[in-house]
Amino acid sequence: MKEEIGSHTYWLLPVLGWVHGDTILTTWLAMAVALAFLAYVGASYRTPRAGRTQTVFEGVVDYISDLVAGSLGKRGEPFVPFFIALFILIFLLNQFGVIPFKALGLPFGGSPTADLNTTVAFALLVFFLIQITAIRQRGIKAYAHIFEPWFLAPINLLEELVRPVTLAARLFFNIFVGELLFIIIASIITAKVMIGSFNLSLAVSVLPFFIQFFNFFVGTIQAFVFTLLGIVYLSLATAEDH
Amino acid sequence: MTSESLVAAATILAFGLIVLGVALGSAVGDGIVASKAVEAIARQPEARPNIFTFLFLGVGVLEAFPIISLGLAFYLLLVVANVPQLLTHLSAGH
Repeated sequence: MKEEIGSHTYWLLPVLGWVHGDTILTTWLAMAVALAFLAYVGASYRTPRAGRTQTVFEGVVDYISDLVAGSLGKRGEPFVPFFIALFILIFLLNQFGVIPFKALGLPFGGSPTADLNTTVAFALLVFFLIQITAIRQRGIKAYAHIFEPWFLAPINLLEELVRPVTLAARLFFNIFVGELLFIIIASIITAKVMIGSFNLSLAVSVLPFFIQFFNFFVGTIQAFVFTLLGIVYLSLATAEDH
Repeated sequence: MTSESLVAAATILAFGLIVLGVALGSAVGDGIVASKAVEAIARQPEARPNIFTFLFLGVGVLEAFPIISLGLAFYLLLVVANVPQLLTHLSAGH
């Protein structure tokens, strides 16, 4: 079976209409992997000895909770689990495209974050979390800063609304182009391109290894950037005075 | 020179120009971010974890623009003009 990007299997669901079936299946699989891993880490707390996995994972959790506490203070404590879950899920979804399930003929595979629907859903989740938190903590005064100099109100409003768009587009394009580069290199290799006596396909066949490393790096960085920007936007929206 | 070869040449030239600008801009931007981070760590070594956080945030936000432009460039090359098909069509004509 041919490995393709940007093509999805479609499901017709009763209320939602046509959806991308492979994206949904892969997301559910990633969630199952995350839950199994977290159950495994949680089970290691029953013994007094700290395992290696537990120590590494506690480092990640500590780092993100320090970030939240550093920029939100004590008000940020209820949001620590949310941002840790966001980071772990986006990280897993970004790395899922490494394993070519689709090439094996399975109905799932590829990174779900290389589908704009997934990233827009994450961005809207963060956006509405921020709006609801701001209204609950400060009431209607949370939007007073938009009319700070009144003539800049449209620009301030646009700045507020463009944040989820850039969050979604940044994550989507990073993962999508990573997979696109991989497919382009693969198509050059399979096309057996000869330039004179120089075998371009053979020379290019060392690249996928490095591209996968680059994709791993980019996926980690982008999951981190998505989480950190969510924290920064939340701290901006709920700041007491400025 | 047929109009098809003109389209292929113009698209490849545009692709090269996009990659040129994107590589230049992102390299300069990343260089500035990294050099400022090194300066900050040299001045205040105890603030190293905090600086690293914002180094990676800056690099992650910066790297989004070249990646998006590269995606648009590939879209131009492979979907809008479909240069590989144009080239095989042109070479078959001779």
